[in-house]
Amino acid sequence: MLNLEKTNKSLKKTLIAFIIFLIIVGIWKPLALVYGIQRGGLYSLIGLPLALILGIVGILNLAHGDFLTLGLYIGYIFYSSWSIDPIISMIPLFFILFGLGTVLYSILIKNVLKAGHLNQLLLTFGISMIIIELIKIIWTTRPRSVYTSYASSSVTLGNMSIGMYEFIYPAMAIAVLVILQFFLKKTRLGQAASAVGQNPKGAEIVGINTNVVYLVVFSIAFGIIGISAAVMLPRTAIFPLSGNSYTLKSFALAAMAGLGNLNGILIGGITLGIAEAIVQSIPGYEGWSDVVFFGILIAVILLNAYRRPE
Amino acid sequence: MKRIFLVMMSLLMVFSFALAAEKPIKIGAVNPLGDITGDQATKAMKLAVKEINDAGGVLGRPIELIVIDDEMNPAKGAAAIERLATVENVDFFVGGMGSGVHLAQVPILKKYQKITVWIGAASHQAEIAMGPDADWYFHLHPWDYQQGEGYGVGWTEIVHAYPEVKIEKVFLAYEEGAFGTDSYTSYIDLYEEAKRGEGSWKEVLKEFKGASFKSAALGGGDYRAMLNQAKSFNPDLFIWAGYDADAIPIVAQAREVNFQPPLFVGAPPGWPADFGKNPLSNNVILYGMWAPTLNEVSAVAKHFYDSYVEMWKEEPATYFAPLGYTNIYFLVEGIKKAGSLDKNAIIEALRTIEYESPLGEVLKIEPSRIIKNQGFKYQKILQWQNGKQEVIWPLDLATTQLVYPFKFGK
Amino acid sequence: MMKKRLFLIITLLAIILMIFLPYFIGAYLLHVLMTIFIYMSLALSWDMMLRTGQLSFGVAGFFGVGSYASIITCSRFGFNPLVSILFAGFFVALIALGLGFAVLKLRDIYFSITTLAITMVFSVIIRNMPRLTGGASGKVIPNVIFNGDSTKTYWLILSLALITILISEIFNRTKIHFAINSIRNDEIIARSSGINILGYLLFVFIISSALQGMAGAIYTQQYGFVSPETTFSLDFLLLPMAMALVGGIYSTWGSVIGAVVLGFASEYLKLFMPYGHQIIYGIMIVLIILFLPKGIYGSTKDRLVTYKIEKLSLSE
Repeated sequence: MLNLEKTNKSLKKTLIAFIIFLIIVGIWKPLALVYGIQRGGLYSLIGLPLALILGIVGILNLAHGDFLTLGLYIGYIFYSSWSIDPIISMIPLFFILFGLGTVLYSILIKNVLKAGHLNQLLLTFGISMIIIELIKIIWTTRPRSVYTSYASSSVTLGNMSIGMYEFIYPAMAIAVLVILQFFLKKTRLGQAASAVGQNPKGAEIVGINTNVVYLVVFSIAFGIIGISAAVMLPRTAIFPLSGNSYTLKSFALAAMAGLGNLNGILIGGITLGIAEAIVQSIPGYEGWSDVVFFGILIAVILLNAYRRPE
Repeated sequence: MKRIFLVMMSLLMVFSFALAAEKPIKIGAVNPLGDITGDQATKAMKLAVKEINDAGGVLGRPIELIVIDDEMNPAKGAAAIERLATVENVDFFVGGMGSGVHLAQVPILKKYQKITVWIGAASHQAEIAMGPDADWYFHLHPWDYQQGEGYGVGWTEIVHAYPEVKIEKVFLAYEEGAFGTDSYTSYIDLYEEAKRGEGSWKEVLKEFKGASFKSAALGGGDYRAMLNQAKSFNPDLFIWAGYDADAIPIVAQAREVNFQPPLFVGAPPGWPADFGKNPLSNNVILYGMWAPTLNEVSAVAKHFYDSYVEMWKEEPATYFAPLGYTNIYFLVEGIKKAGSLDKNAIIEALRTIEYESPLGEVLKIEPSRIIKNQGFKYQKILQWQNGKQEVIWPLDLATTQLVYPFKFGK
Repeated sequence: MMKKRLFLIITLLAIILMIFLPYFIGAYLLHVLMTIFIYMSLALSWDMMLRTGQLSFGVAGFFGVGSYASIITCSRFGFNPLVSILFAGFFVALIALGLGFAVLKLRDIYFSITTLAITMVFSVIIRNMPRLTGGASGKVIPNVIFNGDSTKTYWLILSLALITILISEIFNRTKIHFAINSIRNDEIIARSSGINILGYLLFVFIISSALQGMAGAIYTQQYGFVSPETTFSLDFLLLPMAMALVGGIYSTWGSVIGAVVLGFASEYLKLFMPYGHQIIYGIMIVLIILFLPKGIYGSTKDRLVTYKIEKLSLSE
């Protein structure tokens, strides 16, 4: 499933095109560039775990965004009960979600691995329903929030006020990506994971314990969801459907980048974020940003499909 | 002596049996139980029913409230009406919240034509769907266009009462769904009127601009593009029409973008649980129908608040709670005044009642654009001060003075 | 031979029973059945596409476009409601034809996400054309179909469900069945057998989309309004999918059983459990997937087959 055909050359070409794009937007609409990098970084950060699970374990997790919501609520509890700063709660959130992923995998996911993609899809859909309803019962639909003084801090350049906090999104996305690439390429377990993602049956024949690989990858992905929740906490309203819309966006990103192309998630995420921001900055056309998001997605997928030989 | 006593006792027993065997008057409610608005409306309705039954019921009979969840789903909401009408055989329909759900219920309500007192559906589309011939339909919630008109009255009075307040340029940020867009079309109509020198906004609406945003409740949450547009327009009055999930992020991002209009107004249907505790909330103005501080100026409001807290061990958090209470009491007053369950008698009675509601104002029925029986017309203008929602307008219900201009808290 | 005739007689009796149902049951139960039949048609048409190996996420999109096509032709151009429903099916079929040429070359998740993206694009475009579609506020028609007569509306929806079942059975019994199965199992072998893959995919795509469009049109005519938020709701994608999976995919009976089970559960659970009934619904889905991986119908059929084989081998 993983695509090892992405050679260094084509990665360099994409990077150069990307940087040129950034420079053009920066001159034309600087604020859109800033917002796009920030929001796009968030899409990438949240998209990485879904792509990881989809690429290596092969499961499309429809409850992805809802676990993000769960992470937000847990972070909220840390803040309201023990006054723990959201950024610091990144550490316990990583481990809590990591543990949650391990438990989820062992109890539920393992059993449907043999049953096919559709059953896995339906299972995660059922889990998503259960999580949302559980949250509604415990916390009601009223939103909550976490207040930090630094969340709205900004820097003034000319007559533009540029928010500083949200730069943490692309920063974390890059950090997580670098760590993940290191893990997948340089560690034994990571290399095994790449192999399993490429060819599960072949990996088993070679003696890799696919079950352990799946378990670890699943848990790491969930841990990253925990990290995302922590950084989102100061800027997001916390309600039962907070994370739900990110499932679709993450799925879109993973498909656009191509399975196994984690770098593509970062570049794709930021590109889509910038495209959205550009459309939103045109007065009267704000409502079209979704069309641009999904339009670009469809265009990229179709182009890739027609470029690939039969 | 003994014989008289025996006769009296047996007469008493027959009488009490007859009373106990009195069939209850059935009221059917369709509310979104999974959302705080529907949940608290239901609880408030149950409170009202209990109070009324404890006081002897209506026409000597107890009332029975049957509530079905509409799950904020149009088809389910419609099925709920069918069930209440044909399986539970209710005599009246009450409740409601969402406009989309109500649109699906309208054809079915028209089929049964039972007396309906509805507290939901602000969208003018629902009024169009119901049409002018539904004498049995009473709509208590202000329509979207009425709310806009009311705020014109309110701001004009505020500008006269507070000489330092100046309003000429108004910017409306509206969420891109049905709720926000309805708000926008209302303001466009009001602006056209004001330009001709007519309508309630003619003194305070000289320039108007609107921009849409994607609500956080529906997957958005980045308002900075819209806020920058507002900033360059430099309005005297900034209003955002979205959902409770937008309340805090929008103020936080306004601060980040350094957009500080003199009047910062939010118009969501409800507010987050801890908005008051958030330092960013200070001096934000809100449109709403009710606030707990009304307890200070209205005895009915205070009675409702205290009884609700006592019965449910929680505080009412949304105006749908007192509205649900009003819903039941208003209907019951109509039945009492009619003196019977005759439909036409009750319709006539409801049209003439003036009920003092825990929303702080008197409920009266008047025609609106299309339907004949409309209840509340205007909402109120309130302001968050030190964590509490204080009433600024109507001036006779004001609980404190307006703080002007708006400045971000530290 | 006898079995087939018996089966045919039972089916006919069942259909006659369904037709005369409105005279026996109340308006509420009829309403619930109408909703179930709409979802059943969606589930079945989704399953038809699934049999070709393509997981389509476009159900809600075609449902929505059909809805809008019907309501716009009715209110703007004065079409008769029934004609507008047929037009909606035809219109959606045309769109599916156009889209199909581009999109049916995609496979796996790429096809899925593209159909989902197309749904979103439809929804946003419609929202941004207020003069034609009413924009975000939606559109209301003054009279619902048949003036709200439940019986006639029921018959209309029943017809759609029966037509969908008929088409599904045709796909399952004629030589189309072999072609579709072959495509699903291995496209390379299918192509070398001379099967025109794109042709079959297009054919199934157009028919299933048209059915979804008509379901949307009928739903809209029944309630008399559209709005982007409610009409393009992903509920019209996820719930039919769940029904088909819970009942058993790749079969007609599966979607029928799934729609009935989940449809009744979602309506009646809340009467017993006013708060939190969605959790039970979610738990039901999880349990069925864990313990009946082939769905209710699929697992039952398997068990019947095993039982028969055991009986046969015992009687040897």
